[in-house]
Amino acid sequence: MTAATLQNAPHARQNWFTSRIGKDATQLWLGVFLIIATGLAPDLLDSSYWSHAFQLVNIFIIASICQNLLLVDAGQTSFGNGAIFGVAGYAAAIATTMHGVSYPWAVVLGLIASLGASVLFALPALRVQHFYLGFVTLSAAVVLPELAMAFNDFTNGIIGISLNFETLHQRSIFGVISPMSLMIALITSVILIVHALMRRSMLGRRMRVAAESPEAAQALGISPGVMRSLAFIIAGLGTGVAGVIYPMIVGFVGPTSFNLDISILFFFAVIVGGRGTLLGPILGVWILYLLPNILLAEFVNYRLIAYGLVALLVMLLLPDGIVGGYLNWRHKKQHGGKRLDLNVAAVLGTQSSALSKAADASAVPAIEVRQGRKTFGKVVAVDNVDLTVRHGEIHGLVGANGSGKTSLLNVFSGFSRLNAGSLHVNGVDITSLAPHQIARLGIARTFQTPRIFGSMTLWENVQIGRDARSGNSKAPIPESAVEKLRETLGEGSPDWVPHGQRRLLEVMRVALQESDIMLLDEPAAGLSPDERKQFGALLQQLRDQYGKTFVLVEHDLDLVWGIADRITVLDAGRVVASGTPDEVAGDPAVRHMFIESSHA
Amino acid sequence: MIEEFGIILVRGIGLGAIYTLVALSFNVVHSSSGILNFAQGNMFVLGGFIAFAMSSQVEFGPWMWLAVIPLAGISIALLLTFQGWITLLPLKNSTQQNSWIITTMAASTIIGAVMLLLKGPWAQTATSPFTPFNVLGTRTPAPYILAMIACVFWYVALRLFLTKTLTGLAISALSQDLEAARAAGLRVRRLQLIAFAISGMVIGTAGYIVAPIISIAADTGIKYMLNGFIASVVGGMGSDIGAMIGGPLVGVLSMFAIYQFGGHFQNVVSLAVLVLVLMFKPEGLFGRTSARRV
Repeated sequence: MTAATLQNAPHARQNWFTSRIGKDATQLWLGVFLIIATGLAPDLLDSSYWSHAFQLVNIFIIASICQNLLLVDAGQTSFGNGAIFGVAGYAAAIATTMHGVSYPWAVVLGLIASLGASVLFALPALRVQHFYLGFVTLSAAVVLPELAMAFNDFTNGIIGISLNFETLHQRSIFGVISPMSLMIALITSVILIVHALMRRSMLGRRMRVAAESPEAAQALGISPGVMRSLAFIIAGLGTGVAGVIYPMIVGFVGPTSFNLDISILFFFAVIVGGRGTLLGPILGVWILYLLPNILLAEFVNYRLIAYGLVALLVMLLLPDGIVGGYLNWRHKKQHGGKRLDLNVAAVLGTQSSALSKAADASAVPAIEVRQGRKTFGKVVAVDNVDLTVRHGEIHGLVGANGSGKTSLLNVFSGFSRLNAGSLHVNGVDITSLAPHQIARLGIARTFQTPRIFGSMTLWENVQIGRDARSGNSKAPIPESAVEKLRETLGEGSPDWVPHGQRRLLEVMRVALQESDIMLLDEPAAGLSPDERKQFGALLQQLRDQYGKTFVLVEHDLDLVWGIADRITVLDAGRVVASGTPDEVAGDPAVRHMFIESSHA
Repeated sequence: MIEEFGIILVRGIGLGAIYTLVALSFNVVHSSSGILNFAQGNMFVLGGFIAFAMSSQVEFGPWMWLAVIPLAGISIALLLTFQGWITLLPLKNSTQQNSWIITTMAASTIIGAVMLLLKGPWAQTATSPFTPFNVLGTRTPAPYILAMIACVFWYVALRLFLTKTLTGLAISALSQDLEAARAAGLRVRRLQLIAFAISGMVIGTAGYIVAPIISIAADTGIKYMLNGFIASVVGGMGSDIGAMIGGPLVGVLSMFAIYQFGGHFQNVVSLAVLVLVLMFKPEGLFGRTSARRV
């Protein structure tokens, strides 16, 4: 088993926190160090100019961390996070100056306002994605200063609102550090740590799956809409934290404080620093905001040019940003040409728990389609199909390209809905359920193009299946087998796995999902003959030991006839034959279809 | 009241014609490459800047003014082709297919910042060589009417180009299926650059023609771009006929919002329209519904 040679240092004995953070640890601690050092050093050196500058820089970093979370972890392009930032700042400032609310309570109100704004952002994100969302959020960023002018009874219009936080800026702690600098440095660090922890949490993984492949997410029982909304709310609250601190630093809010530039800064900081890296937002804000400040202090207007030019250059030269580019380079140097052979059977297969074969291979079928019909325009993909999949069987689904195999699989998993007919799973009518609801009923699937996520480690790619467990499986995979798989895969990158074997990762994911019914779409494509044999044995073992039910769409007829209990042959959307392998092989209609072509 | 109604209607449609022009210029590029150029708004203002520079330099009459229209179009077309070339560069390797959102946004920021540096935050205005028209009993500045004419001209011209010329047909083919077009031996990159150039002609002439009624400043472009996008979404993304309908709809609504609530609310109302359409009819009036692939 070559897989075991992969990692020489399993991190089983490390403490909870370190094992949680994993490979992000270096970046995280470096980031926290940089934030605290730059946040406090100017105070220690008694430079009020730099104290002020780094207080601002740090809250911009907070907002950029949130942008990073939204853009990479949740896949949402927002050009308007400055509006959320501004809403929070304005709300806090208005509450405290005009309504005499004490600032701590004003902060709470500001955060509530930012929450409201992020819900407004999330609503369109439920329906549209991508550049549409970019335009909507960009509009919000353009509209906010106009609204601030329009409601001048509340905002003092162009004059803005002045606040006084002089005492917090006094260097009163040990006579060298101001409460303001200390507070901001700590809050920024905490938010960075929270982001690092979130990325490695179940929620973080689910968000990334939903971001990279909504279909895969739904197949794992995740609702992409819920994930997006959560991401907007979390990022919005974080941005709100930065927003309510802003008036305390500057002592003023006005329409010009929150114009489009600030949204652009948050977004480009992530791009320039490195999307999806922990250090990215820090470096990005430094380069975009601080550098023009040092070099061209007298020309404020050059700042925008710098934003644009730096972002453009980075996109052209280092598309993954500065930190991302460095990590890629190091990764290539250390692991270039690394190859990992997956061996599923060796990992999952050594377990032999004394499981009684599923008792209910009985009356209620696992999947039952009655007169199922699915059309796309004039094309009839599934034509009045009757099909029954029994519990604990491997059901082969074969037929030529375009015969409706994958269409049927998509119907089973809810990705397309029958135009007519009914679909029952375990006796429950699921004809009109959403894919993520069907997944939660215990149906897992793989895809023809495997959904493997390059931004996750090998183990995380499998772990997202584990996250999706419903918990009421009749035959759970033993903890020891899972632990072994985790150690084998570890922090490795999916890039190491040869393309043909990537779908095995998906099969592992589905196995850990512990669904009783698994739909596999051409799982053996790209495997070598030996690997196919092992793979077939694995499916049989999962069936016998764990009572799993499989629907197997596969072109390798030898494999199908070797392991399937029953086989259904499709042609042009219709069932041609259905029965045991021998029955089907003897069917004249089927012989006519396969004998000549498959040995051609 | 009747008179105000006339103003809202006529100027609304005129304003909407500008949005339609922006939307048409979006569509050409979008159909050829899937890119929506975030810098389009500032390109529009640059077209207006040419008119401003001309009118402030020399005194010139209607004929001279008309003669410069193609010049403005070609200048912006060149600039936009260059920008398109940069935008398409990272798209060669297929891993960064969404880089254009960032690169076009960066280009927009750069153009805006250069305008800010050169001209300061104060808006410039160009003067029109034409006297106001009298439409429906209201004095209407000529550019509103000219925008409508330009709108019809470009709609017809684009229609003819995309359906009657070989290059146009090839660009239409790109919008249907990029991979198939590439496999059929079309020179995809070159066609996409041509689309950028045509988009530049449309937006450059639009900016030039309506320069007297817009404020030529760094922060103007983004608002026209957003409204052009909204017109596009209302009509149906990628549909030229949709843009012809969506523009005036959004334009009249904008004018009404200005009249009813004041100028500060114009963009809020547009944003509300955008969100509502996206929530309830995301394919717009004339849009194609696209199937989801698994």
